[in-house]
Amino acid sequence: MATAQTPAEHELAKLLVESLNLEHVSADQIEPEAALFGSDLGLDSIDALELALAVSKRYGFQLRSDNQDNRKIFASLRALSQHVESNRTN
Amino acid sequence: MSEPRDAAPADATAWTKRPEGGGRFAIWLIRGIALKLGRWPARLLLWPITLYFFLRRGPERRASRDYLARVLPHPPGAFDVLRHLHAFASTILDRVFMLTEQFRRFFDIRTHGLEQLHRALDDNRGAILLGAHVGSFEALRVLSLERPDIVVRAVLDTGQNPAITEMLNALNPAIAQTVIDASQEGTAIVLAIKEEVERNAVVTLLGDRARPGELAVPVQFLGDTAWFPASPWLIAAALRTPVVVCFGMYSGGNRYDLHFETFASLVEIPRRERQAALARYVQRYADRLAHAVREAPLNWFNFYDFWRPHATPIADPQPARAAADAGAGGTARA
Repeated sequence: MATAQTPAEHELAKLLVESLNLEHVSADQIEPEAALFGSDLGLDSIDALELALAVSKRYGFQLRSDNQDNRKIFASLRALSQHVESNRTN
Repeated sequence: MSEPRDAAPADATAWTKRPEGGGRFAIWLIRGIALKLGRWPARLLLWPITLYFFLRRGPERRASRDYLARVLPHPPGAFDVLRHLHAFASTILDRVFMLTEQFRRFFDIRTHGLEQLHRALDDNRGAILLGAHVGSFEALRVLSLERPDIVVRAVLDTGQNPAITEMLNALNPAIAQTVIDASQEGTAIVLAIKEEVERNAVVTLLGDRARPGELAVPVQFLGDTAWFPASPWLIAAALRTPVVVCFGMYSGGNRYDLHFETFASLVEIPRRERQAALARYVQRYADRLAHAVREAPLNWFNFYDFWRPHATPIADPQPARAAADAGAGGTARA
């Protein structure tokens, strides 16, 4: 079932759990391919905002509202991590 | 999340589906008459238009009467309802003139407490300007054109009133550009708000109408429980941006009064006591709004059953956090 998290994905998963105070999910438990919003992890747009703030602080770049690929970028831990890795400045 | 899932009436979304009054033709006609004849002749036509709506639109008529019974010192009669609908029609007509170049010629717009908004911006954290469906928010957007030092962005659902939106855009494309379209995906909207606040802009939101499925908070409002949206407060808290309330009230004739008031220089909603903190902010806002409409009763423009139970999402969208929220109850995540 579960595909393993890459080190980068694990780091991002930890940031996600910390910044959103997810008390009943640990970073290890987040499936890389599972949906962040809606059914699986059940995040909402306010969570997306907090996640965007945490990402810009940690990785030094902004998630933009006008990015046409936002739906893809926020689809899963894996997708978000790939976006982070190709845009991070620190 | 202990609110019963079946509390939502089947017609919870009914107001969003109500036909836009009169459709495109009527709006085109009003615009033509307004711009050709001028404001006062156009205003004469508002009474027959009001009468038509009064006769044809039962749900709006009943919603008006129900609301007026809560704020007027006497039981509302047909004439009170007519005056209420007429006030609404007046502000719709005035939007046409507010977007034209020489709007100052038509209106006496007075601001009260605008310096509070200025002060809120001194910290360079932007501001959420929180209004409601009362009076004319348009009056405010126009003021922003006069005060170019303040950047104002309105979050508006352009899908809700397509015909009116289209007309207003045609009249003044500069204002259309200041709108953040609320019919986009939630993530795009909140990121757009974040970007605006980070460049010290003012983002206007409306705090009284919870859309179906949106996280809402029950408060006491004009004698009964009503559900107000939580997202303006959650956004302000996440962005650490001040909240200034603003009600642009129509005072009759050609006069509008814009009231600004700093509501919270920092909204703090700790995760641990989220519901309680939210409830405090929203109740205080609801009290402020109740005060404003009691002072100017005809300015309330929510013509649907405002006090109906709010629909919570069918499935708990946040299993990961359900246990943390359980017990506090009564809210649903959008």
